[in-house]
Amino acid sequence: MLVIGAGCAGMRAAIEAHDLGADVALLSKIHPVRSHSGAAEGGINAALGNASDDDPEQHAFDTVKGSDYLGDQDAIQVLCDEAPDDVYQLERWGAVFSRTEDGRIAQRPFGAAGAPRTAYAADITGHVLVHVLYEQVMKRDLPVYEEFFAWQLVLNDGRCQGVIAWDLLNGGLKAIGAKTVILATGGAGRLYVGTTNAYACTGDGMAMALRVGVALEDMEMMQFHPTTLAPTGVLITEGCRGEGAYLLNSENDRFLKRYAPNAMELASRDVISRAEQTEIDEGRGVDGNVLLDLRHLGAERILERLHGTRELSMTFAGVDPIYDPIPVRPGAHYHMGGVDTDVWGLTSMEGMYAAGECACVSVHGANRLGGNALMETITFGKRAGAHAAEWALSNTTVEVPPALERDAERELKELLDRTEGERPWSIRNELAETMHVNFGVFRREDQMKRQGEIVEDLRERYERVVVEDKGEIFNNDLTQALELGFLLDLADSMVISGLARKESRGAHARPYDYPERDDDEYLKHTIVALDEDGRPRLDWRPVTMTKWEPKERTY
Amino acid sequence: MTSITPEATNDSARTMEVALKIWRFDSSTGERELKQYEVEAPEWACLLDVLDLIKDKVDGTLAYRKSCRMMICGSCGMRMDGAAVLACKERMKPIVDAGHVPVISAMGNLPIVKDLVVDMSPFWGKIRSVKPWLQPGYEEPPEKEWRYSQEQMNPIHKEALCIMCGCCVSECNSMESDPDFLGPAALAKGFRFVGDPRDKADVDRLNEYNQEHGIWDCTRCYFCNERCPKGVDPRDAIAKLGAESVSQGIDHDMGAKHAKWFVTSAKTTGWLRETELVPKTQGVVSALKETRFALGLARRGKVPIPFPPHVAEDVKEARALYNLLKEQGREGAAGIVQGEKALGRIEFVEEEGVRELAPEIDPNAEPPHAEG
Repeated sequence: MLVIGAGCAGMRAAIEAHDLGADVALLSKIHPVRSHSGAAEGGINAALGNASDDDPEQHAFDTVKGSDYLGDQDAIQVLCDEAPDDVYQLERWGAVFSRTEDGRIAQRPFGAAGAPRTAYAADITGHVLVHVLYEQVMKRDLPVYEEFFAWQLVLNDGRCQGVIAWDLLNGGLKAIGAKTVILATGGAGRLYVGTTNAYACTGDGMAMALRVGVALEDMEMMQFHPTTLAPTGVLITEGCRGEGAYLLNSENDRFLKRYAPNAMELASRDVISRAEQTEIDEGRGVDGNVLLDLRHLGAERILERLHGTRELSMTFAGVDPIYDPIPVRPGAHYHMGGVDTDVWGLTSMEGMYAAGECACVSVHGANRLGGNALMETITFGKRAGAHAAEWALSNTTVEVPPALERDAERELKELLDRTEGERPWSIRNELAETMHVNFGVFRREDQMKRQGEIVEDLRERYERVVVEDKGEIFNNDLTQALELGFLLDLADSMVISGLARKESRGAHARPYDYPERDDDEYLKHTIVALDEDGRPRLDWRPVTMTKWEPKERTY
Repeated sequence: MTSITPEATNDSARTMEVALKIWRFDSSTGERELKQYEVEAPEWACLLDVLDLIKDKVDGTLAYRKSCRMMICGSCGMRMDGAAVLACKERMKPIVDAGHVPVISAMGNLPIVKDLVVDMSPFWGKIRSVKPWLQPGYEEPPEKEWRYSQEQMNPIHKEALCIMCGCCVSECNSMESDPDFLGPAALAKGFRFVGDPRDKADVDRLNEYNQEHGIWDCTRCYFCNERCPKGVDPRDAIAKLGAESVSQGIDHDMGAKHAKWFVTSAKTTGWLRETELVPKTQGVVSALKETRFALGLARRGKVPIPFPPHVAEDVKEARALYNLLKEQGREGAAGIVQGEKALGRIEFVEEEGVRELAPEIDPNAEPPHAEG
């Protein structure tokens, strides 16, 4: 079996599958430790109760509420119940967590959490987890197709049987057969010009799944993180606010008292991003930013627990947070939506699984809580690995039809042979800039419609795109062009879903026409799949409710 | 309140002209060429942004690795003016202002694949060879987490920061003369486990790292510390492995014997007895062969007469220091870690000065807590 993507979800899935006896390989367009899971800073949520009383039930409720009641409650329960053991496992593998006085895993407060529940390793938690998982991958000697760019999923006999990938180092398309395939390819933040996401986050898995007829869920739900650095969106961790940092406007006012008077800086991300954007739009910003003030935490605490944040803010903003507040603003951060899966990561297609940010289980609903993403990668990576291994061990045949390979070869040759046309970068930049303006923190009907037209136009231009590098060796001019194709497909499905949801819920905020949440009409997921003509078609599915009835959401 | 931040796209307003010289390499033909590029870039641009602009607007065939652009993925290690850097960390404005045109090339000590892309497999091979995974021994694992205090975990703080970018290996002088030298990244990874109280394979690991091409083959040039973009200080990690080896009695290498004599000599006479250094390090037989050389040195007053040994006036202080370290159990890596922490504190104050903090809001206010 094959795992595509080797961040936290992918590596955790492969480890689980291997330990259950499956023959598993990882495939990734970048080396595993380069994965963007490593950029997660603040921490991983599990009700360990190390810092105060806590239990999975409380974690589940916070997550349901945080999701603005769009999260599937059965999936959330699974996450919160399994989280503590999954975190202990990481520690026993060697994860270098920060410690409490009595030597347990340290936990800090995070947004919209009723208890200090976020286990952390200073402000490099993702980095520590990626490296400990890669250590375990090396220990098991799992094969890794490093720098292989997955391009097309192999569909045969009604199930997914592998992938066709471009070998970056040596050149050439390679078909890799597998009884089960797990997608763990991460998010698509590169749809936006200001994003915390890496260049690699181009939604490859989601787009590949969409293209072979698999449904995407809640694609309109893109989270904007409240504290990103201008101009490019480098992430400043929520851990700053967890440690007690303030958000101030140009009047030196902790403005959140007007938006979230109880939780203040520790309200949920959607609430804070909207508050910041309102302050900025109403003229109380500082050059398009608000200020994140850490000074009262003191040098010692900043150096010990927020060392990486200081390094980032000094390098990219020229500001030392010990002495000056950091200018921050909302930036595209996390896709709550993704490939539609059940609680075992299984998609609507036999043999195909998804886990981590590229999947939508859905545990985050309309707004993810900080610290829940790393937890999701681990718990649902493990579960997808287990289920996919079980299936692979009890079924035998794999075949990549030669016709599929030939078609892929022909398509690629056509692209590489084209010498006249537009290069991808202008399309890519236009897409990212217009998505930011027309499909950002606040959304308007007319802007979303216009974005739909823009995307349509960009897709037409993309048909004639030209790749300048014709070589075989490390041709990332080619792979970047293919990534743009993925992004355009996803933009399309996001706009369609966004227009259909005529309410304000979580990250989908429409203050001008539908300012309220509408549980009667929209307590349901958007589902997008391609019809026979290859056009996206919208459908709906009710939210799975177990015991939490929707309530008004205030912080 | 119409649309969202126009600033999101307008930050690029102020621009500068950037020029770079890039060593291009085509592995299919083996051709190498230094080419100059000039682009207009925003003033905030780092080296990576400039490479992106060149690739987009000037030459799509330029190859380099990138991903996170925030100094954590370790993809974009390359050389600027002959020294390894992370391209995403290097701001271009000061360089442009100085009128300098930097030369960009692939990292050293690794085979070049294309342009600025190197083959990292020798790098990963060495990482793998130090058995880079936790070996908790035979103790029954706990149901929850292993219980260790922050202080017990602190010794591996710096090594855990390593992002495996390869900048240290690129600059390693020992590896240049001995390609089989384990090198700074792998050895820092090694100490990440030796220094971890949860790992019980210290002795096996230290024996392994004490072999040929191991810790004692480091020339102590400190280039790795100098070029590490994350403050891992691999040379310090190698020193910690050395200290741990000696304190565990793994001292068969000449390097270990050499280091041990420094301690013995300082403890007994308060200074280094150089004449005895050679026999203590290389053994008597080997030292005898150097007799003529030693006599020559002595004749020209380059080494003191060994007898009677000169004893420093304040030798008691040296002994007291030695005893203190022993009492505190800081003979191995712990002593170096303690020293690093102290130096770090001094460095912070020296570099930053003590600036007046001016918080305009109540510094004593309790941070707020969420209410569910």
